[in-house]
Amino acid sequence: MLEQGKIDSKQAIMLMLSTILPTAILTVPAVTAKSARQDSWMSIMIATTVGLLIARLVVVLGLRFPGKTLFEYAEEILGKVPGKIVGLLYIWLFFLYIGSGVIREYGVFMVTAIMPDTPIIVFHIVGVAVVAYMVRNGLEVLSRFNQLTIPTTGLLAIVFILSTKDMKLARLLPVFDAGPLPIVKGSVAPAMWLGEIVTFAMIIPYLIRPREAHRVATLSILLCSFFLTMSILEALLIFGPNVTGHWIFPAFNAVRVVSIANFLERLESVIMVIFMLGGFVKLGVFYYAAVLGSAQWLGLKDYRPLVLPVGVILVALSIPLWGENIVEVLHFIGQVYAPFALIVLEVGIPLLLLIVSLTKGKGGESDA
Amino acid sequence: MIVLLILLFAGIILFEVPGLVKKKMWRELAAFLAYLLIGMALSIPQVLGVKLPNPTKAIEALIKPISELLK
Repeated sequence: MLEQGKIDSKQAIMLMLSTILPTAILTVPAVTAKSARQDSWMSIMIATTVGLLIARLVVVLGLRFPGKTLFEYAEEILGKVPGKIVGLLYIWLFFLYIGSGVIREYGVFMVTAIMPDTPIIVFHIVGVAVVAYMVRNGLEVLSRFNQLTIPTTGLLAIVFILSTKDMKLARLLPVFDAGPLPIVKGSVAPAMWLGEIVTFAMIIPYLIRPREAHRVATLSILLCSFFLTMSILEALLIFGPNVTGHWIFPAFNAVRVVSIANFLERLESVIMVIFMLGGFVKLGVFYYAAVLGSAQWLGLKDYRPLVLPVGVILVALSIPLWGENIVEVLHFIGQVYAPFALIVLEVGIPLLLLIVSLTKGKGGESDA
Repeated sequence: MIVLLILLFAGIILFEVPGLVKKKMWRELAAFLAYLLIGMALSIPQVLGVKLPNPTKAIEALIKPISELLK
């Protein structure tokens, strides 16, 4: 096997939490609040249901082919050539695409919110260089680094409690004002984010106890949607739907208003820390999946030689792929890439793989 | 800028290639060079100021009916 390391279920939950959450808390509130307005929390509920179904799908598929990743069983199910095509789609349109998107979001965030005078490419290169080192050292190092930094996510809850004094529950009224359609529209972006659980298909073979994969996937989706709901509610309760929909990073701005006794202020650094540390891990997971997937796709014995070239590709893609400015970045993510990835890569292809493997009778019986 | 980029590529090659040659991992070497070539093809035109076609625009055209619904 290419990857020698093994991780336990607890580490896997934490890793999946970091795979989904860091960019979600920053980008999703604005996209969702634009269409679902004060009913955004209902959008997240719909998205959570979709996410749980995707998680179920991915794990059922993974457990039918023990010890194999997405790229290996796609070939086994569909045959050589179609399997390779599916693999290619996942490497280039999912792992590298989202990976470069994470770099871009990270760069855009640093430049617009914190350091406006630094060229964006500096953040991209430095970020990728750090993550490349992590990926080269393998899955175990990645998940241990994540274990070290994940407690910062808990700060989200503390910040939420601290900002309750600026909140008004009346800002969520009237409930169900716009009708069901805007709520469904608003749920596409969070559903795509929670659907990033598809990456778990690359990690299932390296779990110490693969039988617990169902629990891992379900728990990570529930935790993610809990924190996501929290950050959306925080922005909505403080600013109301109009302002939230027009801000670029509402969760970040919501934390900015916290001021306790003129002493506990400027807590946005908390969000920044979560986003930076978590963003590194998120990028690491997608980077790792792209590298490992490429190595399996090409039938290599070692994935490490590919780490640096893939890093170069990630940096090179991060600028042209996601448009010229932040408005385009958010448009491409929310209105263009999210529905595409959700329909094709997160639901369509895994469902196709499962149906074909069931009809052809390939793979062992799933224990689920 | 272009000089820095070429230095970076030279650095990456110097870092990876000797080990691969020593271990006689030819398949890995070929994959490494292919990926590095893709990386060069994507990054050098950008440094020189050439605009590359954007695949996201293709996706945009592909899912236009759906994204119209999402407006």
